[in-house]
Amino acid sequence: MDRRQFLISGIALGAAASLGVAGWHYSVQPNSDNRDWVLSAILPALLYDALPEDTTLAIAQLQRSKTAVADFIAFLPLSQQQELQQLFNLLAQRITELAFTGHLTTLSALSINQRLAILQQWRDSYLTTLQQAYHGLRELLYGAYYGQPEHWQPLAYTAPKFR
Amino acid sequence: MTTNQLDASQFNRDRHFETDIVIIGSGAGGGIAAEQLTQAGYKVLLLEEGAYYTRDNFVMEERWAYPNLYQEGAARKTLDKSIGILQGRTVGGSTTVNWTTSIRTPQPTLEYWQREFGLDFSNENDLTPFFEKAEQRLNIHQWPVPPNANNAKLQQGCEKLGWQYTVIKRNVNGCANLGYCGMGCPINAKQSMLVSTIPAALAQGATLISRLSVRKLHWQNDRITGVDAVPVDSHFQPRQDIHVSIVAKHYIVAAGAIGSPALLLRSKVPDPSGRLGKHTYLHPTVISGALFADDINGHSGAPQSIYSDQFVWPDTDNIPGYKLEVPPLHPVLMATKLIGTGAEHAALMQNFNQLQVVIALQRDGFHPQSQGGTVQLDQQQQPVLDYPISDYVWQGMREALLSMAELQFAAGAKQVLPIHHDAKLYNSWPEAKAAIAALPMENLRQTVVSAHVMGGCNMSAEPTKGVVNQDGRHHQLKNLSIFDGSILPTSLGANPQLTIYALVWRNCQHLLASLLPMAKS
Repeated sequence: MDRRQFLISGIALGAAASLGVAGWHYSVQPNSDNRDWVLSAILPALLYDALPEDTTLAIAQLQRSKTAVADFIAFLPLSQQQELQQLFNLLAQRITELAFTGHLTTLSALSINQRLAILQQWRDSYLTTLQQAYHGLRELLYGAYYGQPEHWQPLAYTAPKFR
Repeated sequence: MTTNQLDASQFNRDRHFETDIVIIGSGAGGGIAAEQLTQAGYKVLLLEEGAYYTRDNFVMEERWAYPNLYQEGAARKTLDKSIGILQGRTVGGSTTVNWTTSIRTPQPTLEYWQREFGLDFSNENDLTPFFEKAEQRLNIHQWPVPPNANNAKLQQGCEKLGWQYTVIKRNVNGCANLGYCGMGCPINAKQSMLVSTIPAALAQGATLISRLSVRKLHWQNDRITGVDAVPVDSHFQPRQDIHVSIVAKHYIVAAGAIGSPALLLRSKVPDPSGRLGKHTYLHPTVISGALFADDINGHSGAPQSIYSDQFVWPDTDNIPGYKLEVPPLHPVLMATKLIGTGAEHAALMQNFNQLQVVIALQRDGFHPQSQGGTVQLDQQQQPVLDYPISDYVWQGMREALLSMAELQFAAGAKQVLPIHHDAKLYNSWPEAKAAIAALPMENLRQTVVSAHVMGGCNMSAEPTKGVVNQDGRHHQLKNLSIFDGSILPTSLGANPQLTIYALVWRNCQHLLASLLPMAKS
C-alpha cells in the first residue's frame, strides 16, 4: 500500500481507528459505532479513484460524505433505518472476521483493493442480504458523495445559480 | 403564513377541524379536486404529508431536493429492494418534481379497461373535454424549443432506424429550459399543482394543512365518520405526541398509488373484491447509457421532449411492450445508477457530460403474467410495495435493452452500457446484441426503476372487480372518493399526470352533481 492509500485508509477511520479489528461489537441498538466503522472501511475504497490528489482534500471529502450519509438516513422510514442498522452490525462483524483471517492487526492495514474485493464478494454472494447490502450501500454512499458541489470538479459540472 | 395555510408541525396541542370536503393528498388528483370543489362553493380542507416548499426553496441541488421533496428521500424501494421508486412527497405531490411530460391516455389502454373492467369512456363519458380543460388550465403545449442533446439522440436514433417518435407536450409557462424540473421549478414555470390549482383554491377559501400524516379513516356501516392524523417531524416521520381529528361530509383520498391503499388498509375498510392494495403497477423501467464523442450535457434543457412509441403495442403477446424516453442526468441520479465501484465507477462519472441515457418503461398490467405488486404495511404501519418481476416482464426488459443499444449506436454512440451489473461498455451494436442476449435477467443484477406508481384501488363497473366505480366513488363507502393514480386498473403505457388530471376533473363534476343536496357550510 502506498503512502496516500495508507493515509486515506487510516485517517478516515477517525475515532473508530483506535478500535482496531476488534472494533466490531454485537449490538441491535441504533447509533452504535458499527455504522461509522463500516463506512470507514468502505468509503475510501468506493471513492479512492474519485478523490482528489491532495490527501488533505481527499480526507475532507470522505468526512463530508460520512456526514451526508448520517444526515440522509434520518429521512428513511424507521423500518429501513432499523434494517440499515442491522446491516451495519452484520457487515462490521464480517469485515472483522475477514481482517482476522488475513492476520491483520488494524482495519487501516486492509488495502483499498482488499476492501473492493470484499464488496465484490457481497455483490456476488448467494445470500440475498449481502447482495442487498452491496446495492444499498453503493447507492447510499455514492449519493452522499456526488450530492456535494465540492466534489463535482472531475465531472466538469456546476449547477446553475439563481439566487 | 396566512390563516388558511397551516403547518401541522407547528401545532402544540391536539386540534379538531370540521369541513364540507377533506382531501387527503395534494398531488395531481388532490390538486385538481381542491380547485374544482372550492370553486363550486364548498369548504375544502386539503391535507399534505410533505412540506409547503415553494420556488424560493428550490435550490436545484439533489442533496436538498431528494430528502425534502420525495418519498423516502427518493430512495424508496420495493420489498426485495430490486426496484427503486421516485415519488413526490410535498405540496403538489409528484407534480412538483415530475419532468412535465403530458400525454393523453392511450386509446388501446381505454379499450382494454372497457373489455376487462367494464369501464366506458366513450360518447357521453368521453375524456376528451377533460383533457382539453386540463391542457388549457396547465398550459400544456408541444415543446417548441429544439430538444437538448440527450433527447435529440433519441430522435436521431429513431430517424435512422425508421422508428416512430413524438415531440412531447409539457405543462410549462415561461420555461427557461433549465433542466431541473425534478428538483422543483425555481422559476414557477412548471404548471404543477403547487403553482396553479392549489393557490387558486387557497385564494377562494380552501385551507391547506401541510406536514400532516393521515393515519386512519373511521367508518361505520356505509359511511366514513372521521379522520385521524398526526404531524410529521423535521424528517417527515409521523409523531406520536399530537393528534388531529377531522370530520367532513365527504372524504377524498388522493395520497398516491402507494399512500392511498396504505391508508385504506390501515383503516380496514370493506374490501369484498379483495383488490385493495393489489395490482399496483410501476411501468418498471430499464436504463441504457451511451458515451458520445460530443458533449451531451444531459443536466441541461427540458428533461423530456421526445418519446418513441415504436414498441409500446407490439404484435406479439410474449412481452409487455415498452415506451422509450430519456431522463435528466444529474450527479446523484447518475452516480447511484451507474454500475461498478472504484476506478470503473469513477471513470464513468468523469464522462458525465458525454453520457447519454435512454429509459424503457414496461407497460405492465395487460397480461396474466403481469399482475403488478401488493402494498403491505410494515411494523410502523407505513407502506411497502412487494413487486415480483415475472419472466414475462424480464423478457420485455431484455428486448428493451436491445432496442435502446441499437438506437444509441444508430444515433452515433461510441460505446453503449446497459445498466445491468454484469454488463460493460460495448463498442458496437453486434457486440452489445450478443452480450445483452446473455445477461441474466434477475433481481439485483438488472437495475430496475420506476417514476410512475398506478393502481391498488382500481376502478371497475362491478364491485367484484375493483375498489371504486368509474367516477372514483368507493363501491361500499358512500361518502368516500378516491381521486388519484391508484384508481387506474392497469398501467397506462404513457406518463400518468394528464390522465389523472382529466379523470379527476371529470370525477369532480360527477361528485358535484351528486352532492347538490348537501348543504354548503
